[in-house]
Amino acid sequence: MGQLTKAHLVEGAAWSLIVVVFFGYSFEFNQSIEIYKFGATGWPRVILLLLLLVTAGNFYYQFRHGSAIQKGRVGIAETDEPETDYSDPATLLKVAGVLLTPFIFAYLLKPVGMYSGAPVFIALVIYLFGERRWKWILGITLLIYAILLGLFVVVLNAPLPQGNVSPFYDFSGFILKMNTNLQNLW
Amino acid sequence: MVEKFLAGSAALFGDPITIAIFVFGVIGGMLFGAIPGVSMLTLAAILLPFTADLDPAQGVMLFAVIYCTGTYGGAITAILFNIPGAPENAPTAFDGYPMTRQGKSGKAVGAAVLCSAIGGVASALVMMAATEPLANWAIRNIGPPEIFALVFFGLAVASSVGGRTIWKGWMSVLLGLLIATIGQDPVGGINRYNFGFTDLAAGIAFVPAILGFFAVSEIFVQAEKKATGQYDAPKVGMSFPSVLELWAHKFAVVRSILVGFFCGILPGIGATLAAFMGYGEAVRWSKNKEEFGKGKLEGVISSETANNAATGAAMIPLLALGLPGGALTAMMVAVFQMHDLEPGPLVFYNSPELIWIVFAAMFYANLSILFIGLIETKTILYLLKIPFQFLAPLILLLATIGAYISRGLVLDVMVMFGAGIIGFLLRRTGYSIPGIVLGLILGKIGEQNFAQGMQMVHYDMITYFSRPICTILIIAGTLTLAAGVYRAFSSPKEAG
Repeated sequence: MGQLTKAHLVEGAAWSLIVVVFFGYSFEFNQSIEIYKFGATGWPRVILLLLLLVTAGNFYYQFRHGSAIQKGRVGIAETDEPETDYSDPATLLKVAGVLLTPFIFAYLLKPVGMYSGAPVFIALVIYLFGERRWKWILGITLLIYAILLGLFVVVLNAPLPQGNVSPFYDFSGFILKMNTNLQNLW
Repeated sequence: MVEKFLAGSAALFGDPITIAIFVFGVIGGMLFGAIPGVSMLTLAAILLPFTADLDPAQGVMLFAVIYCTGTYGGAITAILFNIPGAPENAPTAFDGYPMTRQGKSGKAVGAAVLCSAIGGVASALVMMAATEPLANWAIRNIGPPEIFALVFFGLAVASSVGGRTIWKGWMSVLLGLLIATIGQDPVGGINRYNFGFTDLAAGIAFVPAILGFFAVSEIFVQAEKKATGQYDAPKVGMSFPSVLELWAHKFAVVRSILVGFFCGILPGIGATLAAFMGYGEAVRWSKNKEEFGKGKLEGVISSETANNAATGAAMIPLLALGLPGGALTAMMVAVFQMHDLEPGPLVFYNSPELIWIVFAAMFYANLSILFIGLIETKTILYLLKIPFQFLAPLILLLATIGAYISRGLVLDVMVMFGAGIIGFLLRRTGYSIPGIVLGLILGKIGEQNFAQGMQMVHYDMITYFSRPICTILIIAGTLTLAAGVYRAFSSPKEAG
């Protein structure tokens, strides 16, 4: 097994899977183009072939040297960062919470909208980042929400998602009506 | 030329509304460039509809000013938070962020201010003097085969920096190229890899992808450190670089101006490749290559000089050929079209006053980077004092708005957070995020120009290589790749 670890095997398998899935899916659009000899699949398949080759090269390197940094590499900012320890399930839960919360927020943007969803999202992220003083959580949430409304709604009139489910949609309508009234003042 | 420049300056500063728009562009570009999570592109996308109410010269000038100052502003976030405001600031983070970690943020930001201004002013001057002759040269000598060759060379250079190994550098660039194939193919318009999502027919928009790979993934990295108790707040350093320190890098500045201008002048390439090549050349010519990526001032200087040197040059293909060099210049084409104008050689004859107002505005915008930048730098450095748990939701929220606003699609927000998770995982395993982003940006351009180039030479490689610029660039790119292969198989490991 050389210097290979379980993580290297997973990494290699993930890249190979990407190549296989993308190559398989390329048959869905395998059409010729009259004015272009290589068709719609030529370019992506060349990329996939190269990706397969360098994945093999990467695997070979890991087999020989493990996760070591190759000599002479430049532009690596995180060389001195320590490996993260996930032996504590609470740590894993915290990180998973941070990774998943934005996704849930994004998923709910359509039904709930930005105006209703943003304050909850802000407060949740502050909490997940370790802040436990509820006065600070509330205060910073209100401050960021005010910046959002002030900059993007009042100054720039940016079209933000309003939601399509009551009462969130109604709340967005209320905010936008307030903004219109404010704009009419000057 | 001097008379035209003075006439342009007079037109710019003779009208209070034009002055107000100029000032708004300068401050707005810097501010949006420097706010983590949003960028000059966000501001430009928001402002685009409003330019219909402006005079054409004012509209185009506003975007040109935002382009100059926003390119500088993006360096601030790259240096302070490892979140480049735009892809052209990505190489700035290579050394700028380690400098911040070492308490040298003032030096890095100070160098970025000065070098952005020098690069931008030099580029604006050359742009004014050389736009017409260079446009004529480019029309004759630069075609799709040359652009493809330059993309190839740029990607070869990009793959050699950023990843933990050369293999990971290549894999990062190839992943970016693969993501760029999602959406309609640029020749026949056939849908590729939409996986059943109709919105994906338009491809992966690069603004959400960039926000995800850089901003969101950085938040996730910091969140992981917080959760595991490894978080170490960046140190605030207020000392600016000394004159001697900057003078020591004079050759790097000149080299980066040349590299930046050359890359910027080529249509479709823009400042991103300029920054990468400016950085790559700095590494290539340095005696202490190993110091790059660990907080070397020359890295910041080279990248920031090159990307701002490309801003003036990027106007040349836009104004002379009607070809945008990047996302912001593409929006400028939309501004032209809103006013029933077409950018191209005829603009020089039909609207010379517009051209010279834009040129003058870009010159003064770059100068203002120096003055306003130095004043605001110390204020911006205090951003580092805000506890990260309060900064993170603001960045995530701004990034959400930035991703959503350009196309009005919630899918783009999902793409951004997806890219954030992928970026988080890839960074932990030593891949190059800037490499992915460069592959993503140059992928479509490369494919389109490859296809057009092949059609031009009737698929005959001898004809292709009879074009000297193509030959030089392809050989240079191949040598770069060959050197990488040699190192991959011969060099011993450095660290565990």
